[in-house]
Amino acid sequence: MARRVSSPREFLKGVPITVWMLALVVVPLAFTFVMSFYTSSGLMIDQTLSLANYKLFFTDPLYSRILFKSMRLALAISVLSIGAAFPLAYLVSFKIQRGRNLLFMLCIIPLWVSYLVRIIAWRTILGNRGVINSALLALGIIREPITVFLYNQFAIAITLTYICIPFVFIPVYTALEKIPRNLIDASNDLGANEVRTFVNVILPLALPGLVTGFIFSFIIALGDYIIPLQLGGTEGIMFGNLVWSQFGFAFNWPFGAALGFILFIIAVVILGVTARFGTTEGGFLGE
Amino acid sequence: MSSPRTGRRGRAPVLKAYGILVFLFLYFPMVIVVLFSFSPTRTIVGLSGLTLKWYQELFRDPALLTAFWHTILIGLAAVAIATVFGTAGAFFISRVEFPGKGVFRALVMLPFLLPGIIMGLTLLIFFRNLGVQLSAFTILMGHVSFTTPLVMFQVTSRLSRMGPTYRWAAMDLGATPFQTLIHVTLPMIRTALIGAGLLAFTVSFDEIVISYFLTGTWMTLPVYIYGMLRFGLSPKVYAISTIIVILSLVLIIFMAKYTGRSAETYRVRKKQG
Repeated sequence: MARRVSSPREFLKGVPITVWMLALVVVPLAFTFVMSFYTSSGLMIDQTLSLANYKLFFTDPLYSRILFKSMRLALAISVLSIGAAFPLAYLVSFKIQRGRNLLFMLCIIPLWVSYLVRIIAWRTILGNRGVINSALLALGIIREPITVFLYNQFAIAITLTYICIPFVFIPVYTALEKIPRNLIDASNDLGANEVRTFVNVILPLALPGLVTGFIFSFIIALGDYIIPLQLGGTEGIMFGNLVWSQFGFAFNWPFGAALGFILFIIAVVILGVTARFGTTEGGFLGE
Repeated sequence: MSSPRTGRRGRAPVLKAYGILVFLFLYFPMVIVVLFSFSPTRTIVGLSGLTLKWYQELFRDPALLTAFWHTILIGLAAVAIATVFGTAGAFFISRVEFPGKGVFRALVMLPFLLPGIIMGLTLLIFFRNLGVQLSAFTILMGHVSFTTPLVMFQVTSRLSRMGPTYRWAAMDLGATPFQTLIHVTLPMIRTALIGAGLLAFTVSFDEIVISYFLTGTWMTLPVYIYGMLRFGLSPKVYAISTIIVILSLVLIIFMAKYTGRSAETYRVRKKQG
């Protein structure tokens, strides 16, 4: 079908959303891009354009090391989230008959319950006087509280996995629900057992949902700064904190702008590459 | 041949056990927060009785109550603005054809897809370059940035499933475009609008990642609680967290009522009756 172009009067409808987009998305991004070429000297910002910030990022191994560490952790978090969410989505979509809608709601409710409250919960569980330590002390397994749970990458990984599970569950469940059930019957009739049906029929058809879920959790985990600040300690300094600190105590906005822009490019490239495989909306923005 | 399928349903004990484990993982932390908010001591091992004193203490913290009020205000204002911009955007994207629509859609979705930190820092840089001081206004704009796509895509999906036939029927019967909008289209997307508004409010109510960049001295509740965390996890933090969890749950239940296919069929059937 050839794409037609609507009459000019119709475009009036697009004025509000275009204004919103320019004012809150495009122009702020442009300002950030420009600022990433400024330099900071003390409390002043030197507006002569230079590549100094990008040069610093690409030459000082400290920064790329933190970026790679964050990407590795984000990858682990994505894998863990899929490991938790995919079987759950498969269970609810294929194995449950009664109460399916309720179970679906129960799986995504954590998504809408305050992000900060969930961080507080994990600090409570993992802390030195937290739930795990109290339980271990009460059971007599340990005599002193052990500090291995909090302020490290493990604490970040478990909390971010917790945050990401619903973000994986929704696109995977949406993809699974779209699989015509007679395909499963056909596969059974042709003599495939459950495992073969799963590997040869369900898994390939669920792939777009899996890719979307993977990308969502990867980007969320890579860009987060509150969880590393709250649970990461010094061992858990991630790319997100690095960016945040440029606007906080380090007070180097131009460098922060450059780091932010690098993160933006990474996110856009990932989204662009995977838009071919998954659906970017992933069942979130529709009903 | 539907018997093999129904035969397979309901079994899979290992998968079910795993599912229960994931559920425990999902709900255990929230239960912990609620339990701690009622505990007179700071532990739950050897929980001795329940208390409401931490909740009473909340009401003696004027700064916290102010922050709570601010959050409600920002949420309502953000929803109002996002509903207008988002609905207009939904009409635009589902009814107007132009080259580059895919790119346009992607740009609108960006605040939803990008990590919050990017939205936060770009808006911070933007406002400070324009000489705008950090205030309620900057927080509100941050919230409008991510609530607008939420509303827009909820309404877009309702419009696309509704199809153009009702609109054409109204026009054939002699309704002006304005009459069609008021008497046909808006009543049909009403539940989607309410659902989207509730969703946007819920998200706005809990938002901290973007707000944290855009907050000066005027604070919303999550940013205020974040400040409280600097002095450790106090029972008061658990009490306010519990209230937030309960409020979110209430909002989600209402949201579920208004979004999804069930709300739509109800609406159409009622119209016919």
